[in-house]
Amino acid sequence: MALKSLSPGRGVNSHGLNGREVKSRGGNGRDRAERRVAFRMTAPSLVLMALVAAVPIGYALWLSLNQYSVRTAGLSRFVGLENYITALSGPHWWAAFGQTFLFAGLSVSLELVLGTAMALLLNLAFKGRALLRTVVLLPYAVVTVVSAITWETMFAPNLGLVTNVLSTLGLPGGDVVWLGEHGYAMAVIVLADVWKTTPFAALIILAGLQVISAETYEAAELDGASKWQAFVNVTLPLLRPAIVLAAIFRTMDALRVFDLPFVLTRGANGTESMSMLAYTQLRENRLVGEGSALSILTFLTVMAVSVVYIRFAGGNIREVAKEEQ
Amino acid sequence: MDLIRPSSPLQEDTTPSQAVARTTALHRSSRRPRTVAVAAAAMAAGLLLSGCGGGAATPGAENASAADPASAAGATGSINICGGKDASGIYKGTAEAFTTANGKVTAKYTEIGATTDEARTQAVQRLEGKSTECDIFLTDVIWTSEFASQGWLLDQTKLVEANKDRLIPSTVETAKYEDKYWASPFFTNAGLVYYQKDKVAKPETWQQLYAEAAAAPGNSFVYQGKQYEGLTVNFLEMLYSAGGEVLDSKGEVKIDSPETREVLDFMSQGLKDGSAERAVLTYNEDPARLAYESGNYGYQRNWPHVFRLLNATPLAGSFGVAPLPAWEGGKASGVLGGWNLAISAHSTNQAGAVSFIDFATTPDWQKHVAMDFSQAPVNEAAYSDAAVLAKMPFATELLASVKGAKPRPISPVYPQISQAIYKNVYAVLSGAASTEDAVKSMAEEIKTAKASF
Repeated sequence: MALKSLSPGRGVNSHGLNGREVKSRGGNGRDRAERRVAFRMTAPSLVLMALVAAVPIGYALWLSLNQYSVRTAGLSRFVGLENYITALSGPHWWAAFGQTFLFAGLSVSLELVLGTAMALLLNLAFKGRALLRTVVLLPYAVVTVVSAITWETMFAPNLGLVTNVLSTLGLPGGDVVWLGEHGYAMAVIVLADVWKTTPFAALIILAGLQVISAETYEAAELDGASKWQAFVNVTLPLLRPAIVLAAIFRTMDALRVFDLPFVLTRGANGTESMSMLAYTQLRENRLVGEGSALSILTFLTVMAVSVVYIRFAGGNIREVAKEEQ
Repeated sequence: MDLIRPSSPLQEDTTPSQAVARTTALHRSSRRPRTVAVAAAAMAAGLLLSGCGGGAATPGAENASAADPASAAGATGSINICGGKDASGIYKGTAEAFTTANGKVTAKYTEIGATTDEARTQAVQRLEGKSTECDIFLTDVIWTSEFASQGWLLDQTKLVEANKDRLIPSTVETAKYEDKYWASPFFTNAGLVYYQKDKVAKPETWQQLYAEAAAAPGNSFVYQGKQYEGLTVNFLEMLYSAGGEVLDSKGEVKIDSPETREVLDFMSQGLKDGSAERAVLTYNEDPARLAYESGNYGYQRNWPHVFRLLNATPLAGSFGVAPLPAWEGGKASGVLGGWNLAISAHSTNQAGAVSFIDFATTPDWQKHVAMDFSQAPVNEAAYSDAAVLAKMPFATELLASVKGAKPRPISPVYPQISQAIYKNVYAVLSGAASTEDAVKSMAEEIKTAKASF
């Protein structure tokens, strides 16, 4: 159910729409009337979408082409792409770009592996399964800032739970200043993200898992497949669309990461993300033009990545969605 | 999960729940599959729409009108004071006491933001939109130049001149921009050093403090070394006492100096020889205090409010309070914090606002500022008052720190200057950059920041 509603299904719909358009051009009055009703019914949401999405993005785009300084206090000067050149030629954007991708790569791959494992576990028939499915989602329900503060506390030098336990047990890491060095700080940030969003990935993958019918496995068993062979040759291929979908959602989210590095390190030790950079310029420094350029660049990056995903891996989703219909 | 104790990442005086409330809004917007651009644009729109619409007024401090000290006598009506969260109750308390004492003018306090950052954003939006809602804004000492440069504030030069004999000179300096005063100091703040009397001596110089801190494992020094405004303050305290500066009186960038190099080398050497643990790189105010409370340290640099908290721990009685030390052969000079009272250029009751400021800065009310709300007064006599000393036994040390302190660099683009400082200082302390490279890029970034104005 989740898969159906979550999968874009764009391929299917637009094909359908195109097909219908061709037909209705030469079609009868009833078709046209129907289309009018359809249009009237969707118009309010289209207008709403335009207002909440297109207008602000367009406005940000406009702001990014202008120069505003604290001195001129809101008076602007059109400067074309100057803000983009400033942003792209300085070291900050590229550092943040690289670090954000490093973070996204690490956290999303971990989340997919763990999420698949978790989904397989939750898919087993056992007593209290419904309860466990709910409980597993709890980390996702925690507000990110709260969990970030908790992680910060746990990894605090000397006083933190993790550092304390490690040093009491004589394990390495007890005397490490986790948030004071690049590698360790990145590890904590990735860990915090994995802890929080693995359940979300698991939920999507679980939905995919439930679509696979028992007969498929029975057939595999008849063919003499072992459990492992069944997993590799039946489960994984059929699960791929769900995993790709989870990957898209998680990657888009991870590339926009803000709160975790903001709380945990304030961007120190090379953990500044693209969103943090835009925030600093926009809000703290009131450099509206440059800040807007940075947010547009972030937006374009995330868009580009999702287009690549959908182009190269999205075919699977379309096929599954088609099959289901 | 201990959610009550950890300090907020956002501001020293923010509780986690406020931090949560504030950042939840950001978080929510970032969850939508339309990227930060939407959030960013919305923020930008909020910041700018009003500014664009206004048009007519020329921004800038030159055209600001002045507050008239004599107007207070005939003031009537009501005034509204706007600022951040009233944690100690001082804002509401002062408004109520003023209303009772004055009889003709009624004052009320409106909280416009839960954190310092949020209060600034809210104030900026109101001022850009020429809102008449607030007559007085509580301004952080580092906001003065930015607000004044926009023509948002009433020129308080005459008022400050009239009240000068009751105000500590260093506190008035925080309200100065381009030779005029744009606010009156309300309460101030300066760094102090807390030290364990049984382990280490009272610090006279930074060199002595660092040497003693390195002498034994339990003696080390905790300060605020996280990458944020607090690190700028910690660094500037040492730079100023070493005779260095960021901008000179003409606004020229002076950070590329032997003093800056000396202080950076000194601080990073301290992390290597054990004067300070590497852990300070993750500390802001609260974690530093909590670490010190464990009893495993010799010195702590923090603000006056820590005194009351330390007294509620087993360390009570074993620690002393000292003003910030000097650099060997020099004079101690810290950095001022605190809050000022600025009158909005769009206030509809300027006379009422002037009479409130008169009241809030009287020597008598300044005693209450210390006794009732544990804040540092801006009136010198208050520090030797017996009733104040009973509540604030370290008042003498605090006064020494306040009087020796200087404002942070005065510039409308202060936030950018501070970032240039704390990012580069952090890079040196964490070992990511050499002193030489950090000094060069600090100077470069401060110049770029100044050019952006």
